[in-house]
Amino acid sequence: MIWLSTRWKIAIMVIPTLLFFTLFVVYPVGYSAYYSLTDFIGFGTPAFVGLANYATLFSDPLFWRSLLNTVVVLVISVVVIIPASFALALLMRRPFRGARMLRALVFAPGIIAPILVGLIWVFILDPKIGLVNQLLTHAGVSSPPIWIGGPTLGPVSIALVFIWSTVGFAMTIFYAGLQLLPGDVIEASSLDGATPFQQTWAITVPMMRETFAITAVLVTTNVFKIFELVYQLTGGGPIHKSETLVSYMYYVTFTSQQYGPGMAFAVIITVLGAIVSVGYLALLRERKDVVA
Amino acid sequence: MTFPTTERRRARPRSALIVSAVAAYLITFLVLLPLFWIAVLSFKPNSRILSDPLGAAAFTLDNYLNVFASVPLLSMYGNTLVLALVSVTVGTVISFMSSFALSRMVFRRRRLQSGLRLYLLGGLAIPIYILLFPVYRVDIALGVFGTYAALILPYIAVTIPFNTLLLTGFLRDFPGELEEAAIIDGAGLWRLCWSVVVPLMRPVFATILIFNVIYVFNEYPFASILINNPAMTTVSLAVSQFQGQYSTDYGAMMAASTIILIPQLVIYALFQKQVIAGMTIGAVKG
Amino acid sequence: MYNAAHASLWKRRLVGVSVLVTSLALLAGCSTGTGSSGSTTITLSMQQTDVKKGDPTTWAIVQAFEKKYPNIKVTVTGQPVAQHNQAIDVAAQSNTLPTMFWLFSADTGKKLNKAGALLDLNPILKDEGLTSSFNKTVLDSFSDGGKQFGVPYQALLTGFYVNKKILADNGLTQPVTFDDLVAVSKALSAKGITTIANGASQSSFSVWAFLTCLDRFGYDDVIKDILAGKASYSNPDFLKFYEALAELQKAGAFSSNVATQTYNQAVDDFANGKAAFLDSGVWASGQLQSSPVGKDTGFWVGPQFSNGVGEQKIVMNVVGAPLAVSASVKKGSPEYAAVEKFIGFYYGDAGQQIFADNGQPPVTTFAPKIASSNTVFQSVLDAAKGLAVPLAQPDQYLSTASQNVMYDSIYGVIEGQLSPQDAVDMVQKSIAANK
Repeated sequence: MIWLSTRWKIAIMVIPTLLFFTLFVVYPVGYSAYYSLTDFIGFGTPAFVGLANYATLFSDPLFWRSLLNTVVVLVISVVVIIPASFALALLMRRPFRGARMLRALVFAPGIIAPILVGLIWVFILDPKIGLVNQLLTHAGVSSPPIWIGGPTLGPVSIALVFIWSTVGFAMTIFYAGLQLLPGDVIEASSLDGATPFQQTWAITVPMMRETFAITAVLVTTNVFKIFELVYQLTGGGPIHKSETLVSYMYYVTFTSQQYGPGMAFAVIITVLGAIVSVGYLALLRERKDVVA
Repeated sequence: MTFPTTERRRARPRSALIVSAVAAYLITFLVLLPLFWIAVLSFKPNSRILSDPLGAAAFTLDNYLNVFASVPLLSMYGNTLVLALVSVTVGTVISFMSSFALSRMVFRRRRLQSGLRLYLLGGLAIPIYILLFPVYRVDIALGVFGTYAALILPYIAVTIPFNTLLLTGFLRDFPGELEEAAIIDGAGLWRLCWSVVVPLMRPVFATILIFNVIYVFNEYPFASILINNPAMTTVSLAVSQFQGQYSTDYGAMMAASTIILIPQLVIYALFQKQVIAGMTIGAVKG
Repeated sequence: MYNAAHASLWKRRLVGVSVLVTSLALLAGCSTGTGSSGSTTITLSMQQTDVKKGDPTTWAIVQAFEKKYPNIKVTVTGQPVAQHNQAIDVAAQSNTLPTMFWLFSADTGKKLNKAGALLDLNPILKDEGLTSSFNKTVLDSFSDGGKQFGVPYQALLTGFYVNKKILADNGLTQPVTFDDLVAVSKALSAKGITTIANGASQSSFSVWAFLTCLDRFGYDDVIKDILAGKASYSNPDFLKFYEALAELQKAGAFSSNVATQTYNQAVDDFANGKAAFLDSGVWASGQLQSSPVGKDTGFWVGPQFSNGVGEQKIVMNVVGAPLAVSASVKKGSPEYAAVEKFIGFYYGDAGQQIFADNGQPPVTTFAPKIASSNTVFQSVLDAAKGLAVPLAQPDQYLSTASQNVMYDSIYGVIEGQLSPQDAVDMVQKSIAANK
């Protein structure tokens, strides 16, 4: 490989991507960082205010609430999605009829317009007219939980709907990873008399480490980016009690037209997200290098 | 040594397969229940949807007729297709090029290589609303505002982190022997990529292509701001067509959503077929 | 081993794909343009995607206008409110504003005006002879620094729609005072009927009738002092209002899912006879007329408070959002002339009659003819006749950020999530922080 790795060739391979990425992704983040230090109102020329916007944000209890809610959603989602979608991918690999169709269908929840995802889940989770509570009241439960619109369970419901819409997506990635596994190791273990469960646990899972890492990073970053779902499901909860980072940022920036704090918020979210995703990958890199 | 696997022919008892099938169908059914509900509701008159979501009554095709009458679906699909084809093709190609360089090629400085990779991956967590205003400005500065390019360029950029994550992740495990063999045979960089690496990475490419095409189909924030010409609207804007300031036509939205969903599922299923059809059992044995 | 035949196949595919991509890219570089000879085109950008369905008044006016002036074409575009606001903000930054557009509030208009993005409409109003067609306060709300940055889009006439049949069926009479309303709420909630239909989700602004109640506690008199920092929103009078609201909540007046319900769902509840009152405005009259409860629907301007301040018999009949014109429309250009004619038509008698035909009260002093079948619309106008009006809806005085906090303060108490004292403190904090 080293004979093909001239500086010129590397440059050609890498520069187009860097160009697009820097111009349309990095520059906007820099733009937000710049305006986060001003009293920008969306248009016109702003004045420099230093870190005042960040101070405003940090002294806003709703900012911390949205951070907490995001963490709750993150923990619940990762703990449920990773094992569930991996198991589902294993299941869907079996050569039964219609497997391909089922794989496509499980993916469907991820591509419905968020406004309808919100509406239909409101029909399911609404404390008064929702399916779940109507069934519970019929079954004799006197005061069923307030899934949405209440002060506490909002983030849990958000996690539930997020899991529903992301399982297919995560499963697809695991499926691709499983397709790329070398088959001989498993065949050899078969000859040695290993059970399918042992094979999965002791062989497949370790070989899929990269895929697990990829899926964990994707689920995590997607949780950080949750926006329309919150808005459509709870509207932000009773007076912003179920906002997540991006949904509250949207409220501050666009609904309340406070662009200064909004941009500061954007920078904070980007930094947090980058730390979590890149940090996790960097850690994994180190460990893998050590092991290998 | 075999590299990719196809479905292995194993001595599995039939009963285990049937159990798997039943479980898979059941899970899929449960997952899809809310969607079935949306499809069912799309056949209900709009005035009854909010008040009586569970009731079985009043079947009507009005919502669908409404959608076909008020939304230029054909031109929307045409626009979206152009956007998807160009942005996904270019995005996938350049992402592969950079991912290959960042995971397989040899850099003089290793730090630079891993640094660039992390730089690209940092974009994974950036919520799209942060990009709205600046991208608008860049589009105007580049003089492409009002053209298809106004959306294509950001779409390419936004898919780079995801593509990079998957491609570098899977390229890492690419067997070096195949590369060396091809190089010894006299292959240059381009031939190496095209004839050896790409074919074996088919499942990953298929995954990336599906995700990115579907992303473009459903992308809303950029499309709603950067399109100011009614003739260039995309499919993702079809559902918001029915959102009024004080009243919303949910029935039409559900019909529109169902109409939009089905082609995407078909595309997804077709891509899956390509993944399996093109698999070769091993390139170098021994 | 790579395969030579395989490689050449891929090479051909590569060439094919490149050709396809290049041609598509070239296509992408073209935009669709509009070109017409001899006619002027102006753009009107509104706050819904389907203006024909969502805003029939404006649609009808545009059609009638184009018929009268065949040389002028009005391109109507629109997006949902949030996207529309973003698009306007973003366009203002880069001088790509449409010719005319709806603005979210007077506050947005003032900010855009200070940034020099809006055209002063005083000359146009004078030229078209419209300056005396409006009530004085109407134009004042959209004037800033001597410039008229906006003209009224539609009227904001708000209150409670009443389902007279539900009241009659339960032996109740139309409430007049707040105590009447509490009594009605207790009676209806005992029977499991929603008294007041409201929906907070994604529609926190839908507390129109309650915003009016603030004006029954002396809002108009103190707001200027509050904004100047000389008085506080957290005062005993406003606290009384919020305490009344809390009393209403305890009496079970609101639906238990008011927090997750959207305004749409609230309208739907009322339209299907499931609620006795609907917190809304005149724009809903058409929708309600054609609903199952159309013939039973009346209108009520809101409760009078025995512990209120000032005039209690008031109705919220003010102007709502403004329409504005981009400053890039230069005087003497054909676009300018077209805009002049449009504004002249919009506020002329013919335009205002179109308002009435579509269930909207005129924004000028014109007295329209109303079809007798529009009972709901007529009942709204009747209920509002002869009553005093505040200068503006309470939220219009505040910055956008504080407006949202004000809505939250009201819904917070309605949802039982906020105490009255916390509610007023919350709003005062926001007003002090955002000028």
